[in-house]
Amino acid sequence: MMPPVFTPAAFVRRIGFYVLVGLVAAFFAIPLLWLLTAPFDTTPAYGVQVPDFTLGNFRTLLANEQAMISLGESVILALGSMAVTVGGAALAAYALSRVAVPGRGALLYLLLLLSSVVTGTTAMVPIFLLMFEAGLIDSRAGVVLVMTGGLLPAAIFILKDFMDATPRSYEESARVFGARPLQILWHVVVPITRPGLATIAVWATVQVWGNFLVPFILFTDPAKQPAAVIMHTFYTEGGQPKLALISAFSLLYSAPVVAMYVFVSRRYGFRFHGGIKR
Amino acid sequence: MSEIELTGLRKVFEGGVRAVDGIDLTVADGEFFALLGPSGCGKTTLLRTVAGLESADGGTIAIGGDDVTRLSPGDRDVAMVFQDYALFPHMSVVENIAYPQRVKRVPKAERQAAAAAVGADLELAGLMDRRPGQLSGGQQQRVALARAVAARPRVFLFDEPLSNLDARLRLSARTFLKRLQRELAVTTVFVTHDQAEALALADRIAVMEAGRIRQVGTPQEVFRRPANTFVANFIGSTPMNLLPGVAVEGGVTVAGVRLPAAHSVAAGTELVVGFRPEYATASAEDLPGALPGRVAIVEHLGTSLLLTLESGDLAVGVTVPEDAEPAPGTSLWVQPRPDRLLLYDAGGGDIIEA
Repeated sequence: MMPPVFTPAAFVRRIGFYVLVGLVAAFFAIPLLWLLTAPFDTTPAYGVQVPDFTLGNFRTLLANEQAMISLGESVILALGSMAVTVGGAALAAYALSRVAVPGRGALLYLLLLLSSVVTGTTAMVPIFLLMFEAGLIDSRAGVVLVMTGGLLPAAIFILKDFMDATPRSYEESARVFGARPLQILWHVVVPITRPGLATIAVWATVQVWGNFLVPFILFTDPAKQPAAVIMHTFYTEGGQPKLALISAFSLLYSAPVVAMYVFVSRRYGFRFHGGIKR
Repeated sequence: MSEIELTGLRKVFEGGVRAVDGIDLTVADGEFFALLGPSGCGKTTLLRTVAGLESADGGTIAIGGDDVTRLSPGDRDVAMVFQDYALFPHMSVVENIAYPQRVKRVPKAERQAAAAAVGADLELAGLMDRRPGQLSGGQQQRVALARAVAARPRVFLFDEPLSNLDARLRLSARTFLKRLQRELAVTTVFVTHDQAEALALADRIAVMEAGRIRQVGTPQEVFRRPANTFVANFIGSTPMNLLPGVAVEGGVTVAGVRLPAAHSVAAGTELVVGFRPEYATASAEDLPGALPGRVAIVEHLGTSLLLTLESGDLAVGVTVPEDAEPAPGTSLWVQPRPDRLLLYDAGGGDIIEA
């Protein structure tokens, strides 16, 4: 075999390509590097630097009651919305998959289109008024409802595909043995669509965990603000960001999401389409 | 007692397709009954209607004397084995077999012990902890059967139970299935498109076409005396000869040759004359009541050969012993056995009684 031959022009092009890729990678990597180094630095700054190692920032953070409470609030909101979204979407997707509703395709696409509006910025004023009239301002249930409303259409859309891919003979077999619809759902459909349910659960949790606008507007009580909102209050009276606190908080705030992704990806593999591994 | 009685059963699909079109049928207690027909004849729909997976649009279904027409599938006390077996992929073999009992809320230890016992009877003892995906086709089929057996139903319904197996395995699975049904003596209805399977397994067969039953009878009756040309065509591993003929006194003429046959139709009536290739002999010389022809095609069937002869415009099939292979083009005479000659009405295709 001939060794590969590079013309000088191809050589230069190749170098240029790697430099470009390197720059793009650095553009995305540097903020992450900051997230890994700054929390352990005695004097965190805006730049990435080799940290002067300390755990002091975390001690400051743990002592900050408001920050710790906000993480708890985030957990409540995220898990609450996740549970309602997965439960509601599973039931709706199962029904839509199994019952021929006229125009269900169009209905699903319309819902999907509208869902991006519901939790979007444009709809915040009417949503605020609606929640105000419903007496759900400063209510965790209110935030969970609004978030769920925004997540459900996409969740139903994705889960319906998983349900469609489950052979009907499984359910018919269970039916002939006397299983009732909820038993069929619980014994047969849920276990088979588990990868889809896990994907939706993580996706819904992450959406709520990272949402700023909805809790920011619907909670007036600072004690109920979740982590995503609390972070923007970490400033000194002089208007300087408390970088020590912010960096440590950011790391703590990201960790559960990363852990969840890794867990679900290992266990089920992320999938946004149906299909059964037998 | 668990006989099945269908009365005027109808199932019409959207668009007006009459999948089941007024079926009256009684399956006796403990009988092994086959619904046989080409694809699209409504046999699977009929089975699903009996199971309750399709609702009847007319008529009634009674099992053991109880009207179950309006009952949901789980309340009919039937167990079904699906063509794809429908084993739950996330459950082990023992969990699959125990599933009917789980639905009935039998305690876990008890139902798993029962499942293990049934599994052992069906030669699944060493496989109880595997998932269905780790089993061969034949093993999966036995798990599906075991699950149906574990439900202890009044009636088994099998939808093409052998069609997903390869040809070799199908024969042993067939024997296994027949033995199992004999031992359990549970009323069983199975659907098949394979006439050989129906003949081999069933106590009685209903041959269906376009949502209607064309003949019900024992394998022997259906094979020997098909009630019409449709059944005659469908049954038998070699196609029956169905030749145009004309009635004469004490016989029929086919292509100018007089064949003796008892009948009561007026001389000169046009008929269809049927005989199986197995019920005819080929000879090298002209005999009375033999059709002349030249060998066109020779097909090996194992212990015999199927010859297709050209006799004028007609094609006539006959089987000969394996060691009597004639060269293509040889002139032969085919003599049907007079006692196996069947006469059918040329218009409707129904059999003409002697």
